[in-house]
Amino acid sequence: MYGWEMLSFNIHDGFLEAIVRGNRSGLLTAADYNNLCQCETLDDIKMHLTATEYGPYLQNEPSPLHTTTIVEKCTLKLVDDYKHMLCQATEPLSTFLQYITYGHMIDNVVLIVTGTLHERDVNELLEKCHPLGMFDSIASLAVAQNMRELYRLVLVDTPLAPYFSECITSEDLDDMNVEIMRNTLYKAYLEDFYKFCQKLGGATAEIMCDLLSFEADRRAVNITINSIGTELTRDDRRKLYSNFGLLYPYGHEELAVCEDVDQVRGAMEKYPPYQSIFSRISYGESQMLDKAFYEEEVRRLCLSFEQQFHYAVFFAYIRLREQEIRNLMWISECVAQNQKNRVHDSVVFIF
Amino acid sequence: MAGQGQRLNVVPTVTTLGVVKARLAGATRGHALLKKKSDALTVQFRAILKRIVSDKDAMGDAMRAASLSLAEALYVAGAPLRHVVQQSVSGPARLRVRAHQDNIAGVRLPRFESYLADDAAGAAPSSATSLAGLAGGGQQVAACRAAHARALELLVELASLQTSFLTLDAAIKTTNRRVNALESVVKPRLENTIAYIRGELDEHEREEFFRLKKIQGYKQRELERQKEAAARYAEEKAAGEVALKRGVSMDTAASMLHNGDRDEDIIF
Repeated sequence: MYGWEMLSFNIHDGFLEAIVRGNRSGLLTAADYNNLCQCETLDDIKMHLTATEYGPYLQNEPSPLHTTTIVEKCTLKLVDDYKHMLCQATEPLSTFLQYITYGHMIDNVVLIVTGTLHERDVNELLEKCHPLGMFDSIASLAVAQNMRELYRLVLVDTPLAPYFSECITSEDLDDMNVEIMRNTLYKAYLEDFYKFCQKLGGATAEIMCDLLSFEADRRAVNITINSIGTELTRDDRRKLYSNFGLLYPYGHEELAVCEDVDQVRGAMEKYPPYQSIFSRISYGESQMLDKAFYEEEVRRLCLSFEQQFHYAVFFAYIRLREQEIRNLMWISECVAQNQKNRVHDSVVFIF
Repeated sequence: MAGQGQRLNVVPTVTTLGVVKARLAGATRGHALLKKKSDALTVQFRAILKRIVSDKDAMGDAMRAASLSLAEALYVAGAPLRHVVQQSVSGPARLRVRAHQDNIAGVRLPRFESYLADDAAGAAPSSATSLAGLAGGGQQVAACRAAHARALELLVELASLQTSFLTLDAAIKTTNRRVNALESVVKPRLENTIAYIRGELDEHEREEFFRLKKIQGYKQRELERQKEAAARYAEEKAAGEVALKRGVSMDTAASMLHNGDRDEDIIF
């Protein structure tokens, strides 16, 4: 289909692409961030944000603002955008859009399962779920006592069902480490999304596979670094890596045996795209790695807007909004805690 | 000064003097001891005050670092991290506080101490949360945890110091009140009593002495008078004997001189 999309793309998806490109221009710019970083109080931030697309969502908030309120309202804006686009979408774009939210859905399922294991109130848990990852039967997750029941009663009707049936074999919920479950599910999700994008073909496949590969590689590196010094064994670690991406399969073998950050670095420097990320970080340090990865991701997401007639712009837009919300959260936290000198540490300028 | 000029209502005798002197000695010793205790407590008090000040400074930094590290962790691991960590909390806390008492110069000071519980119930959640943020932000989560643990430790130490501070403050006030009472009420009163008894006793002694002097003088005079009388008697006796030798008694001789008319020739 590659090269011929321009003939037929606009029949179904032209309107939505126009909308998403319009939304993209609503993202905060470097000038906006500079203004926000100058703020002295959260009310100043609110005032700056009223001039942006977040304005309607924040204007009715009473004055003692909290960081969480700002984040909540900004997320609401993202959710509204997403729902608006989903309503207009036709196949296969609607499926593509739904795929984007599966990550949040996994987080929500894991959250509910964790809460249920510790006997928390389900309604309380539901309030804490990410709005993008909600599905109809989510409240009934709490009734499940073991994995089989959970799958049979609830998850079989959700899009997550194949991930569970493929990956989770443990019988009893209590025995399984929730974080490992989350990452196993996420691995399955990424692989499925990858396959789906390849099936779509064309520019979408080209760009999305690149983005997802980067996502998979980033997860692999993060899992490696974060599992150093924990009881996660090498084989378990190896199982959490997604089976695609630039690092697959030889890089994964090297990462699986890494025992410290410098070994990870040695393994990663063989791959030119990641060499530039690691060259910015001094030896033995891994704190700034997350920011470096975020910057690289944002760069790649922004590049996806350079091409037309493909679906990756929707994915990119949602991801950029999420990054923007993270930036806003960081700026608000720094302002609220009077740590103005740290503001620039973690803000990733988008455009 | 309070208690100046006051004294105990006692009978001024030597025995009472002994008793009061013993009490004064006791009061002095007690005063010295209490003074020493008060000094020891004050030294401790100053030390605690110094530590409180430095801890409070450190507290601000630690809390700021802790809340910023939480923000960092949330930034990297995403907002759901907060809920995941909250929901996976179970069982008794791992960091616990133990209370015991310290004895400083007889004052019992409560002291709190934080420690990590190593029993099975406490160790289980630690392994579960150690994988939090596995796919991103695990290190920030660990850093956040370390920062909060440090802040909590400081908080417990500060609580312990503050409680000691208040207890010690009360103890120092009581001791100082006692020292002052001994110094400015009890001791002057006893000293006044001793001075009073001494004065009374001296007075008595002087009275006795004067009385003795008087009696001695009387006795002396009496003796002289008797001596004189004896001397005169002896003289008369001697004169009577002379007259007898002459054949005339003293009386007759005298009457011989006086008898008859008065001789005009005799002028005397």
